[in-house]
Amino acid sequence: MGENMKPSTVKIKKMPSRFKHQVPKYKITRSDDCINCGTCAKTCPYGVHERPEGHNRVNPPINYKCIGFECQSKEFCCLTQCPRQALSLSLNPMYETLGDYRWTADMITGTWIMAETGYPPERTDLEYNVGNSGGGFDKLRFKFPANPPKVDKAEISTAIELNRRNDGRAPVVISTPVYGGGMSFGSVSLPTMVSKAHNAAIWNTFTCTGEGGYPEILMPYDDHVITQVATGLFGVREETIQRVKIIEFKYAQGAKPGLGGHLLGEKNTESVAKMREAVKGASLFSPFPFHSVYSIEDHKKHIDWIKEMNPIALVSVKVSTPNDVDMVAVGSYYAGAHIIHIDGGYGGTGAAPDIAKKNIAMPIEYAITKVHNFLKAEGARDAVTLIASGGIRTAHDLVKAICLGADGAVIGTAELVSLECVRCGNCESGRGCSRGIASTDSELADLFTEEWATQRLTNMYHAWNYQLVEILQKFGMKSVKELVGRTDLLEHIDYSK
Amino acid sequence: MDKADKILESRSEFLRQVPPLVPNPEEEGGCGVTGFISSIPVTGKNIFEPSAQMHNRGNGKGGGIGAVGFVPEALGVSRQVLDGDYMLHIALLDSSVAAEVEETYIKPNFTIDKSEKLDTLDDYRSIGLEVRPPDIMRYFVRVKDDVLDAFIQEKGLTFMERRDAEDEFVYQNSFKINTRYYASLGEKKAFVMSHGRNMMILKIVGYAENVVRYYQLDDFKAHIWLAHQRYPTRGRVWHPGGCHPFSALNEALVHNGDFANYQSIYEYLKQRNYQPLFLTDTEEAALLLDLWSRVYKYPLEYMIEAMAPTSEMDFDMLSPEKQQIYKAIQTHHVGASPDGPWFFIIARNDVRDGQFQLIGITDTAMLRPQVFALQEGEVQVGLICSEKQAIDATLISLVREDARFRPIADKYWNARGGSYTDGGSFIFSLKNSGDASGNKKLVCTDKFGRVIETPQDKEICDVTQPVESNEACKAIEKKLQAFFAEKDPATATRKIVAYIQENMVGFDANSLRFAVQTIKKHADENEDFNQTAIDSLTLLSDLRYNTGKIKRSSVQHVIKLALDAIFDETTLITGKSNSIFSRIDFATRGEIRAPHNNEKILVIDAEAFEPEGDLCDAVLIVKAYQLGWKRFIVYKYRGQRFTGCGFGPATGGVRIDVYGSSGDYLASGIDGMEIYVHGNAQDQLCQIMKDGKLVVYGDVGQTFMYGAKGGTAYIMGNAAGRPLINAVGRPRVVINGTALDYLAESFMAGDPLNGGGFVVLNGIGFNDEDGSIREYDSPYPGSNIFSLASGGAIYVRDPQKKLALEQLNGGEFNEISDADWELILPYLEENEKLFAISIDRLLTVDNQKKSPQEVYRKIMPKK
Repeated sequence: MGENMKPSTVKIKKMPSRFKHQVPKYKITRSDDCINCGTCAKTCPYGVHERPEGHNRVNPPINYKCIGFECQSKEFCCLTQCPRQALSLSLNPMYETLGDYRWTADMITGTWIMAETGYPPERTDLEYNVGNSGGGFDKLRFKFPANPPKVDKAEISTAIELNRRNDGRAPVVISTPVYGGGMSFGSVSLPTMVSKAHNAAIWNTFTCTGEGGYPEILMPYDDHVITQVATGLFGVREETIQRVKIIEFKYAQGAKPGLGGHLLGEKNTESVAKMREAVKGASLFSPFPFHSVYSIEDHKKHIDWIKEMNPIALVSVKVSTPNDVDMVAVGSYYAGAHIIHIDGGYGGTGAAPDIAKKNIAMPIEYAITKVHNFLKAEGARDAVTLIASGGIRTAHDLVKAICLGADGAVIGTAELVSLECVRCGNCESGRGCSRGIASTDSELADLFTEEWATQRLTNMYHAWNYQLVEILQKFGMKSVKELVGRTDLLEHIDYSK
Repeated sequence: MDKADKILESRSEFLRQVPPLVPNPEEEGGCGVTGFISSIPVTGKNIFEPSAQMHNRGNGKGGGIGAVGFVPEALGVSRQVLDGDYMLHIALLDSSVAAEVEETYIKPNFTIDKSEKLDTLDDYRSIGLEVRPPDIMRYFVRVKDDVLDAFIQEKGLTFMERRDAEDEFVYQNSFKINTRYYASLGEKKAFVMSHGRNMMILKIVGYAENVVRYYQLDDFKAHIWLAHQRYPTRGRVWHPGGCHPFSALNEALVHNGDFANYQSIYEYLKQRNYQPLFLTDTEEAALLLDLWSRVYKYPLEYMIEAMAPTSEMDFDMLSPEKQQIYKAIQTHHVGASPDGPWFFIIARNDVRDGQFQLIGITDTAMLRPQVFALQEGEVQVGLICSEKQAIDATLISLVREDARFRPIADKYWNARGGSYTDGGSFIFSLKNSGDASGNKKLVCTDKFGRVIETPQDKEICDVTQPVESNEACKAIEKKLQAFFAEKDPATATRKIVAYIQENMVGFDANSLRFAVQTIKKHADENEDFNQTAIDSLTLLSDLRYNTGKIKRSSVQHVIKLALDAIFDETTLITGKSNSIFSRIDFATRGEIRAPHNNEKILVIDAEAFEPEGDLCDAVLIVKAYQLGWKRFIVYKYRGQRFTGCGFGPATGGVRIDVYGSSGDYLASGIDGMEIYVHGNAQDQLCQIMKDGKLVVYGDVGQTFMYGAKGGTAYIMGNAAGRPLINAVGRPRVVINGTALDYLAESFMAGDPLNGGGFVVLNGIGFNDEDGSIREYDSPYPGSNIFSLASGGAIYVRDPQKKLALEQLNGGEFNEISDADWELILPYLEENEKLFAISIDRLLTVDNQKKSPQEVYRKIMPKK
């Protein structure tokens, strides 16, 4: 690994769904006219139909693999190839229940395909780059130049530096401008945490512990783990601060500004309580804000403390996006932070209260520009890394965030979706996660292996990086750093000419 | 219309002329505040040191000072003019408007007794300032009779006392200047910094101490000095209009914190015809005080109540009469009560009562750091600061100016916000003593008027006099000689300490100084005795006992001089010796090396180290540890932070002894080492501590052991707000005093009987008179203890059952079992060993020995 890691060297491998039946967009119905001739299995290149050797009957169609109506124009389409016209294609009504306006069913399906294949979907029936929220990133599009300078994909760098202070601390570079957000042990399962860390190591980027301690099993990935220091200080010890290259202060979360982290009693299982050294079964509420930080000079002192304990690590300050987020950012810069991480209101798992999500913090797309411009006016922009999160769902969101002024982004939900999260929103309950991601229940947490999850994440990161490189090529840029703050490359579809 | 309304109504006309104001772009959070009041006028030099000490609470983009109570001769006016005239200080950001301001607003309205432009340094850049401070015009003025008559008639203020009407005129006139030359302009040109009597406010874009330098106040004397280091978070600030202090008339107010309800107070003030022009929350606070004191004529107590309302159980503890009044105040003014973290220091010329006052008020939740201190004697001084080390820095500076001051205060304490016990506020009032001397006398009271005193009849050692060796001294010398001859150093130490403690009652200043000097002499003459001398002197300074005729603070002063000298005389790390001690200071820090020969203890002179960053002594200590040092003595601390941080895991066997004013975050994150703080400690100690031991011979500050996982701690005195909040695992703590509030909120430390954590809260203090132990009225007066806790326990010494269920939010009281007593006994034994607070005494109630079950109660999570 290390600084010179090239995204092109990352190994991707097909990692299919854990489930035979994902929530499919289409439904193939096979009528009684079928004679089990097997023509469909031979003709379909996507594996919808299978007729295993020695069986009498064709298997029921694997609907999620079907590319839908666009197939009808193709020669091999099963509908036309079937000698008995026994097959019919329709939209699956269940598909409508998947997702929501921000995370549409298409986007979830697209992310699943990326996690499975390592590439963006080839089919054209999925609008996986933008959602349907009616605003924000969903209304922004790229303005690609007609004749961009010719750039070879191999020349394009997606790496960014995280330490721009020139203060003698670790010169940390990440190879792709994305890293994983903080999710504590307790909020997610151990295999989820480990696979996130392992993937971070593969991609030479980072993941974050969240506020629930630093499981020893993550130690092989120390160089790619961010120790989060949040208001409850759960599991934070000097050792866990000393072993990493980045320490993140979580002041607030965009999904629920004004509230600390919380883990309801059901999720506070024996292993979680042990890690946090708290009492099993008791709901754990982190305070808001830090009891030791009520002002900017307290904040500086807080950062100085971390720097004292770890003389080489970078300090990241994660804040939500209140109206004066620009002041907060510049204050953090003056207090000595290397990374300003602004977290908008669109993020958060199902555990964040609905009343807070999307209703308090400023939308991230406003906040990024506000902070970027303010830091520029202060003359401080070049000395600090600006990371955005809270609603970065796709590679396109990432690129838009960078165009608006961020250097990179932190993602949370997208990682969980690659592990086949269906966004049912039951994350707060102990046995609520049917996918075994957001649970430390001893049975649910074993629903997938670390190997499977790591590969899914690696594939998804690969697909994003692939898209990012493609976009940079279309802009004729050699580095993602050229993209920062280029709002001129975006247009709002309601106002574009 | 009542009288107050008429006064406020008189402003309507010109308020209509205030243009719409642009919101203030300079935002700020915290800062450093410091102030002191002295019975004799002292020079501006003395505000310099504490300001410089609090650099890390500001960012050099705003500083200000306030001063009250001057010497007439120094200003070239008569006593009568100084007492009677308004002192207008007009800041000219653009000098070209000086004549216009004078012609339009000063000359037509006032009789000018004296006017001058304040002297300044020639070049502001010579002291590192980036923005040229404003020129200041000072006028001593009274309102012309005919002008005042017309004002009274026109505004219908005939009911007012003439002087009050004159005050109002001055207020309104300055408001007009500020509207005309400040608020209405994009380019600010001038504003009135202060216009009160016998006081001034000066502010600059820069650190506060540079006000003293730039306006050449080093030798200028005043009774009260006040300073503020500002931390505006936006970059370019080019004029000091938004800096503190703020003033409405006869007060200067500085503020650390910010209000969440700025807008609601803004509306409240506007409804009462107060228009903030500088648009910071601090200005609002000054205007509130002015409204309540000058227009509504509230007594100070009611103003404090309006600022920081008494609530929860504290309200219930008030007398029915007080409840009635307070309820009325809260009903009327709760919308103006600043919400959020704040701490005010107010310097005030209370012209009505002929006194100067220095007032500190904290918010009800005590979210900002605050320390009060008092030193009495031939001269008196009261101090209020964000941090204790700023107080000590002030005292050290004062000693240099006048040897009647001493470097250690008689008393240091915190206020409990919005409480029934002290009201969250203390007031130092300075009045003429009334006797023939013409001296002034300083009296300290809390919000309710209760006087805070130090023992009045005790002597203070004059350390500038030579020590005489008289007959009495010979006996002392002989005794000490014998003790030092003991083979076992621990026995020697014990005997020396016991001997001095027992004989202290008979000691005069000379005997004490002789005894201390003799102990030091043994150390000087024989290095083997160093440890014994250090240990004995340290204990004699740390422990509470009857200091007889001499003030305890003076005893501590004498010992501090001896200890510092012993440390100073230790061989430097660059030198050669066979001693177990080696010394290092800032200049020699690069010479740090592994211990040689017999060396075991590294003595660190912390004085010149930075409070944080790479040049902080904490970094050096870690380096030394990595080279093999395990024992440290750090002395001459002046607020340096992070002692003990950065060592990494498993540091058993390491011991750090800390002298002087130690800093924030001490022992935060430690895992195994022991730290002994000889004196009071500051804020944020032992955060996330995993294991090890902390001993504090005094009080600890805010959020002590926040998020701690384990370790033991022994606190001789009190803890401030929110100790052990969010602590988990197995921390075990003895607090002998009490805590301000929110003790062990969200405590999650398992089952103490099965390896979990607990706090023993003894609720005792010491009598200043004879050092004996006394019980507090309640072991825990705060309204919240063990709130939302899910694990751990508090063992509280509460024989009178003063604690009520109302104070617990989720906890319950239980009898202690034998197993509980067995669990805490070893900790009480260690507590006895460390602080000489005997278990026997703790179990004695009203002179009767009781069983542990009768004395202690257990608070644990509700099942």
